[in-house]
Amino acid sequence: MRTARQRVAPESTQALSQMLARCDRNGEKVRIAGGETLAGMGLPPERADVTLLTTGLSGVIANERADLVVAARAGTPVRDVSILLASQGQFVPFDAPRPLDATVGGTLAAGWAGPRRHCYGRARDYVLGSTIVLADGTIARAGGMVVKNVAGYDMSRLYVGSFGTLGVLARANFKTIPLPPKARLFLAPLPERTRERACTQLSTLAIRPSAAFWIDGFHQAIDGDEGPEGRILALLEGSDALLERATLALRSALGRAGVPQTRVIDAGAREAFERVVDAYVACLGERSVTYRLYPLVPDSQRTVIAVEALARRFELRNETILDVMNGDVVARVSDFDSQAFGAKIEAFDDALHESEPRALVVASKHPHRARLRVWGAPPAAIERMRELKARFDPNRTLNPGCFVGGI
Amino acid sequence: MILLERLIEALGSDAVKAAPEDLAAYAFDAYTDGGTPSAIVLPGSTRDVSATVKIARDCGEPIVARGAGTGLCGGAVPTVGGVVLSFARMNRILEFDERNRRARVQPGVINLDLSRHAAASGLFYAPDPSSQQVSTLGGNIATNAGGPHCLSYGTTVNHVLGLEVVDAGGEVFSTSVEDAGYDLTAALVGSEGTLGIVTSAWLRLSELPESVRVSLAAFDDIDSASEAVSAVIAAGILPTALEMMDAVIVRAVEAAFHAGYPTEAAAVLLVENAGLREDVAAAQDAIESIVLQHAARSWRSAESRTERDALWAGRKGAAGATGRIAPNYYTQDVCVPRSKLPQALRAVEAAARANGITVGNVFHAGDGNLHPLLMYDRRDRRQVGAVVETGNEILQCAIELGGTISGEHGIGWEKREAMTRVYSTADLAAMARVRDVFDPAGALNPEKIFPRGARCPEVVPP
Repeated sequence: MRTARQRVAPESTQALSQMLARCDRNGEKVRIAGGETLAGMGLPPERADVTLLTTGLSGVIANERADLVVAARAGTPVRDVSILLASQGQFVPFDAPRPLDATVGGTLAAGWAGPRRHCYGRARDYVLGSTIVLADGTIARAGGMVVKNVAGYDMSRLYVGSFGTLGVLARANFKTIPLPPKARLFLAPLPERTRERACTQLSTLAIRPSAAFWIDGFHQAIDGDEGPEGRILALLEGSDALLERATLALRSALGRAGVPQTRVIDAGAREAFERVVDAYVACLGERSVTYRLYPLVPDSQRTVIAVEALARRFELRNETILDVMNGDVVARVSDFDSQAFGAKIEAFDDALHESEPRALVVASKHPHRARLRVWGAPPAAIERMRELKARFDPNRTLNPGCFVGGI
Repeated sequence: MILLERLIEALGSDAVKAAPEDLAAYAFDAYTDGGTPSAIVLPGSTRDVSATVKIARDCGEPIVARGAGTGLCGGAVPTVGGVVLSFARMNRILEFDERNRRARVQPGVINLDLSRHAAASGLFYAPDPSSQQVSTLGGNIATNAGGPHCLSYGTTVNHVLGLEVVDAGGEVFSTSVEDAGYDLTAALVGSEGTLGIVTSAWLRLSELPESVRVSLAAFDDIDSASEAVSAVIAAGILPTALEMMDAVIVRAVEAAFHAGYPTEAAAVLLVENAGLREDVAAAQDAIESIVLQHAARSWRSAESRTERDALWAGRKGAAGATGRIAPNYYTQDVCVPRSKLPQALRAVEAAARANGITVGNVFHAGDGNLHPLLMYDRRDRRQVGAVVETGNEILQCAIELGGTISGEHGIGWEKREAMTRVYSTADLAAMARVRDVFDPAGALNPEKIFPRGARCPEVVPP
């Protein structure tokens, strides 16, 4: 990879359009960067002549408070949007790691799917419309500012999750929902042989937590005392009545699973939840790789055990966050120094993908990251995805080689 | 005729219909009729669909996929003829995964049948278009169908987890929202049969709430009712449904269903809250006090399941009940910002009055999704012309208020020319690029969505 010498931060959609048109004409390859919080996802571009910083396109441009609609430029930090919305009792469940740095556009482009999606949906489900700049400089709008819209294809959804390879998001319009009035964090260290039962109990609760995790490791990064089998951390959100009933239900469910000791924290509950999401992409220098795996809920335990066994075989340290409600598994494997790690990680990656073809790399600063199967096995419809890329960006100007299947 | 021979050879004579009365029956949807198809195919499997598409392609015939034909904008009408694929026989629930709250269905399954099936497990399928007793899930996916409960649960696209699709070449491919890569599932949902033909779908099921309350607020004028809706939303309260009916509709519904609607009211709001019983009670109280502040003359809550169902039956049967007012009605479907509801309703009323048309409003007020029903007699050419003009003026008003030309019914054949009123050439060209990838020959549901003269090569910029 050649490092991009030139960094450009256009401050208007027009400027962005002119810049892309020029690069596309001149055969210059463009690397797109927002807050770089998800820089560990995907492959480095096969070539980058220019780095496009979207952070110049910043700010909320429409805040239709009474309509529960908000529009922001792509480079706006997620935290800025969330603070504004919270001040008027609203939110969008971005669930982005490091929201202070993460941008709205980057979070959408990466298709980020957070732990609260089982109850609120994903951030992309809140996108009502968007403005995108295509590789040739064409400015195209999709959707609008109303909450229901079926006029033509849902192009915004195609751009969201496209990793910048179809075009560069300049603006996104969101619907918002009322912010739950209260939040509570529920913590429990797990005694021996309680993990599986505890997770099963949590995933079948009648009043479902907004998020629930089984966590092993990530000691400094995430709250809670670790037991012999790790710890449970759950976020409850809603009215006082919901919090009370959910707390009782949680306590008795965990009691049935053999977990006697539980604790609740009301102050800073959402902040503690955010630290879990931050940990999804936290790296241990160059000596770690974090995978995200997507088994169905009943298979999650099997996946956790399989990854643990594999890490032991390769003598790698393994830390896990199991999203109990959605079933996906975050596994960070590491070693004491980067040299020892480098000697093992490629073989580990091969072995992991043999049993778990859909393991994606979500975070790593390891210098040989490009040798790993960061996108897992190619999806079934990969050929159609390649055709879409060819139609939208025939010169491969945008983030070339970064995405699934070398797109 | 080679097309029919080959279809019968591949699928059996039972699955292929070409008698004139059959062809005429499939020239319609709930909006209009169009060209006469060459053949009707009733596939029983994905393989049948694939074989049909290949044969039609060889014979140069376009393909129009069809669910129950309840569409309101000509989306299933074979305007240029071709082969109509009707999914009436592919109507099985293939897998039911209670643990993961999802089901895999064939496209011909009727919307309400899925919820009925899921109820035993405490689950339901949230999107509930008013046609849900007859419309199919395949058709719902093609139009990204909405319904009253989309206010809190979102439209169809939020409930589709993955698709099996037959493409324009007859090849089968599958998509999943959990797959890495472009979100092809979302691109296909709402594409009105122009990108591929869905042969099965994984759908998300939702949990039945522990408590449901339905209330009816009556108003003496329509302005107060629409201002009350805007105020509820502005207060940050999202009920599970917030529906509005004006006097014309209320009277027609009451005559037909005896649902217990106050016939002397100028407008009523149907409010549903669902969830934890304490939260439901609190939301009901908050909404009650807002509507009373906005001059509601009454607020009444259903006391039993029967009473609740009666209120909903009135709402869902409202369009049909207008048969008492005029022989025909045309349903417009536009969406405006929710704070603009009062202005939008005034504009609807003004347009109807100027054209001498009776209008009834029954719609998803919480979403800002209007459905003015324009009453007319199709035998009277003057009335037909006046309805077209009124519909057009309503469309223009929605656009001027920052809204869109279709909230949930789709573009189909009816509104394709209006696409240029909300999208630029560049916006449409981006859509055309997607069409080009999936269906370069334009054989899947031609003359839909894209405006005339907007075939892909013409709109893609140089």
